[in-house]
Amino acid sequence: MKPTAAWPVHDHGFGQPERSSVHGIPLVTQPDRVVCDECDAVHERIPLRPGQVARCHRCDALLGRGHLVTPTGQLAFALGALVFLIIGNLAPMVSLELHGLRIAVTVPHAIALTWRVGQPLVALLAAATALVFPLALVLLRIYVLVFLARGRVPAGFQLAMRALRLCTYWSMVEVFMLSALVALVRSAGVASLTTDVGLYAYAVLTLLLTSLTASGLHSMWKLSSDLQPADTP
Amino acid sequence: MTDLTARDDDDPVATGRRLGLYGCPTCGRVSRRLCAQPGDEAEVHCPRCDTPLHHHHPHSLQRTWAFTLAAGVLYLPANLLPIMTTRSVLGTESHTLLGGIRELWLAGDWHLAAIVFVASIAVPILKLAIIVLLAGTAQRRSRWRSLERARLYRLVEAVGHWSMLDVFVVVLLVGMIHFGPVAGVQPGPGLLAFGAVVVLTLLASASFDPRLLWPESPAAPAAPAPSPSACADVPPSAVPRHE
Repeated sequence: MKPTAAWPVHDHGFGQPERSSVHGIPLVTQPDRVVCDECDAVHERIPLRPGQVARCHRCDALLGRGHLVTPTGQLAFALGALVFLIIGNLAPMVSLELHGLRIAVTVPHAIALTWRVGQPLVALLAAATALVFPLALVLLRIYVLVFLARGRVPAGFQLAMRALRLCTYWSMVEVFMLSALVALVRSAGVASLTTDVGLYAYAVLTLLLTSLTASGLHSMWKLSSDLQPADTP
Repeated sequence: MTDLTARDDDDPVATGRRLGLYGCPTCGRVSRRLCAQPGDEAEVHCPRCDTPLHHHHPHSLQRTWAFTLAAGVLYLPANLLPIMTTRSVLGTESHTLLGGIRELWLAGDWHLAAIVFVASIAVPILKLAIIVLLAGTAQRRSRWRSLERARLYRLVEAVGHWSMLDVFVVVLLVGMIHFGPVAGVQPGPGLLAFGAVVVLTLLASASFDPRLLWPESPAAPAAPAPSPSACADVPPSAVPRHE
């Protein structure tokens, strides 16, 4: 029997209810239940086939997905995303020519210019959502998955996973990708532009990050507690 | 035992609140509090990830209203102030959000104008309107069309970050069109206000607790009082299977 949100390789079933005391309050876990995040309806946990999607019977919210990619596969996606993120930021996004002058524009360059010409807060916002959060998301995923794929739980796992949730919410690579296309068209009247390596790297990064974040984080938590003895934090 | 699987709106649904179960929003683990005394408000934490567990996020509506109000106030300068100025030997020109869309339209890029219009004008207004609707009905504990309102909530969550499009476009144009001190594109104060609107509406929808869209029916029985035996065993399984 395969658990709802676990990897096919580490098949430990739903597990037994475990009693524990957290901050002095006694609790018992209910591994055979799922509670909907969006409407609080309680469901019985059932095994999901890869690709199968479970939705709440009351509000239709996503409850879980049967996983298609193993931790090792996800690690490969994350490493690929890191490579394309680095290329996308070091290589020029567009090159333009004006009166024989050739300029290559990289993403950090555009953000730095925005800072210098008087909108440092906008520059910070763009840097955070198009660069810092995506980078942190990829690095944290690699860190956690390197250990999980070897059957170990890394140090600082809780902190890394909470940070990962935050970074996923504020990472906007796909929006940035579309705005690059809009910016290209809007500047076409002013200068002759050619798309460059950085833009293609961001396009691939968009695809990789989308497939990476689609699986959610619950399965990684589940895997960590399958790997860890019940009473260690 | 009553059949809790019925989907009729008059029948109580098995909820975490009624069964004393907490679903963890961070890691998905379901826990049940043992030996709870009625009126005991001690904070429960997830045994796996230590996230505080609640049946409703505390102060969800206050925070949603505060972020929404701030976003609504900043929406005016975001649309009235120039989001960028272009400088050339011919002079300086200011562009507002709507002005930029008009230029695209007049230049014949109507599909691009449509994309920017949707991302910059339609999405922020719709988001604000939907959040006001959701928070307003949730405040009145309305049980009106909960499913449709839940779908609206998910729509807001899904499209919210696309409004950031124009912020990125201007930042990239600043980088692309920059030819020393004489000519180039400069970001304007409207862009800061617009960026703030986007972030504030994202915070508003993230603060909203969608469980408020499903208030308990006044006719529904109150949560069962915990019996002493609740300290030991695992609760009954009168719970619907999901397909």
